[in-house]
Amino acid sequence: MTITKEHLLKVYQDMVLIRRFEEVVEKYSKNGTIPGFIHLSIGQEAAQAGVIDTLKETDYKFPDHRGHGAIVLSSRPEDRKTIMAEIFGKKTGINGGRGGSMHINDLKVRNMGFNGIQGSTVVTSLGTAFASFYNHTDDVTVVFMGDGTLGEGTCHESMNMAATWKLPLIYVLINNQYAISTKYTESHPQEYLADWAKGYLVPSETIDGNDIEVVIESTQKAIERARKGEGPTLIEMMTYRWQGHFSGDPAAYRPQGELESWKEKCPIKQTKSKLMNIYGISELDLDLIQRKTEDEVEGYLQFSLASPWPSTDDATSWVYSDISVEGRK
Amino acid sequence: MNRTITFAKAINEAIHQEMDRDEKVFIIGEDVAKMGGDFGITSGIWKKWPHRAFDTALSESAIIGLSCGAALCGLRPVAELMFADFIGVCYDQIVNNAAKLCYMFEGKASAQIVVRAVTGGGIRCAYHHSQCIEPWLMNIPGLVVVAPATPYEAKGLLVSAIRSNNPVIFLEHKGLYNKKGDVPEELYDLPLYESKVVRKGNDITLVAAMSMVDFALRAAEDLSKEGVSCEIINPLTLFPLDKETIINSVAKTGRLVIIQEGPKFMGYAAEIGSMVYEDIFEYLKAPMKRVTSLDTPMPFSPGLEDYVMPQYADVKKACSEVMSF
Repeated sequence: MTITKEHLLKVYQDMVLIRRFEEVVEKYSKNGTIPGFIHLSIGQEAAQAGVIDTLKETDYKFPDHRGHGAIVLSSRPEDRKTIMAEIFGKKTGINGGRGGSMHINDLKVRNMGFNGIQGSTVVTSLGTAFASFYNHTDDVTVVFMGDGTLGEGTCHESMNMAATWKLPLIYVLINNQYAISTKYTESHPQEYLADWAKGYLVPSETIDGNDIEVVIESTQKAIERARKGEGPTLIEMMTYRWQGHFSGDPAAYRPQGELESWKEKCPIKQTKSKLMNIYGISELDLDLIQRKTEDEVEGYLQFSLASPWPSTDDATSWVYSDISVEGRK
Repeated sequence: MNRTITFAKAINEAIHQEMDRDEKVFIIGEDVAKMGGDFGITSGIWKKWPHRAFDTALSESAIIGLSCGAALCGLRPVAELMFADFIGVCYDQIVNNAAKLCYMFEGKASAQIVVRAVTGGGIRCAYHHSQCIEPWLMNIPGLVVVAPATPYEAKGLLVSAIRSNNPVIFLEHKGLYNKKGDVPEELYDLPLYESKVVRKGNDITLVAAMSMVDFALRAAEDLSKEGVSCEIINPLTLFPLDKETIINSVAKTGRLVIIQEGPKFMGYAAEIGSMVYEDIFEYLKAPMKRVTSLDTPMPFSPGLEDYVMPQYADVKKACSEVMSF
């Protein structure tokens, strides 16, 4: 794998942005400012940043419920503050505050949004991949899923159909070890969940999801196959979520020491040491990236805090495309 | 010049003509392409457009999910579920995906899909192929439930359903497939969300959909001999319902009988009744009556199925009760 210094520096910045974004979201979720519940992706930055880095704007992206990172990186820089505002439930949110953390979508960049129910986007993504095939375009579809998602029956229907019709679909299975509290080894018979794709004759591999170079390389291969019309691929990216299932979950189900051992494998830390030791970038320069990112995210935060709540009229709009639904009289 | 064709042929013609008009329209489902559908409704389409007709595995969730995703890209899928009862295996995709997409994307994209499904009883197929699933879908804002009763309505409403940017569940009552009626050969559309006054009258409002409209027509005919005049309203779009036409009719007649195939409890007859009580109670001359199926699964044996289905005698009885109250 040959990744240039500039490229590695770029994805390093991407990962730092995800980390900072999530830290701020976590703080304002825990202090009650952000309504509802939040799923954080701290620890999983390489999988999200590496995949998004490999895609073009017109490729279809289905983030998962732990998908803030993929969503932010897919978006255009000028829209990022509206993504945070959406998580805060504000009128200026990218979807007007009607969806929140779990349903952020952005058609400009073909972020097709998440459906709050596991396994749903696994079949919806068939449709965008099908549209590329129907319209003869080379846009591929990436659907993010987790180790837990694989328990849903829709995964079978989706992979069977995608493989039969050779649809340009890439299943990015982020294996962060736990579906809420249940370890994947307790709910699936395979040692490697990637093996599950074998029954569908779909190429698959299990990779180190914390090594961004490996993530980029594997995703590039899958995308190349898909663009050539050779069909779907499943990539299992081994990683770990540092937080509980939702922000505030103490994650008491994890054995002692497990989190600490994964923190040693922090994707940002790993990349930072490569940049310093192999590419000779100074710690000072990397600190500068960190500070610039913090300032940027602070801007998103201030925008979100200062933004107004949606108007109650917004609750009844767009239930249907053509007729209105009555509000309160 | 009038041309008479079956309900089944009218649906087939609507799909053909819409596919001719708009290359974004395609059909997908189990056995819909080469075989032309389990009921033959999509026959001839694959032959004409082999790249726009897709046979799938038995994967209802994938059929609906794929349709939703394709719709978000601007295509217009016409999916077939075969028996409406099979909605159970893809209910999540219809309720939690299709119905939510317009809201989620603030109208910038939506599940512009048609899901065709064969509903209702009467063909001795028991509880997994004979249910009336309409109420399962009528508590889900975002969905449109369309239920034609004649070949003319079937063609015009399906054309509108295909052109609609909303997810439309298009219900085809299996008892109506062979029913014949006048249908123009040219392409035309009929409005969604509008009830139809099937027959005008002054004494009783009969609300009926799909095959129950025939019951209503028969009752109106019989009652006219006794000097009772019935107004018949077919909602056509069951959800969202055109309340106004029903309310205006009952305000005029003061009497309401709803004939609804399917279990009574929480059926749409209940909603129509409460809507009338809520809005125009003071106009009522008698309590409303509901004629429905029994609250059981649908049995197989002919005598049992007939017993569970709505009875014509009950329609007559309900009408005479509201008249004599």
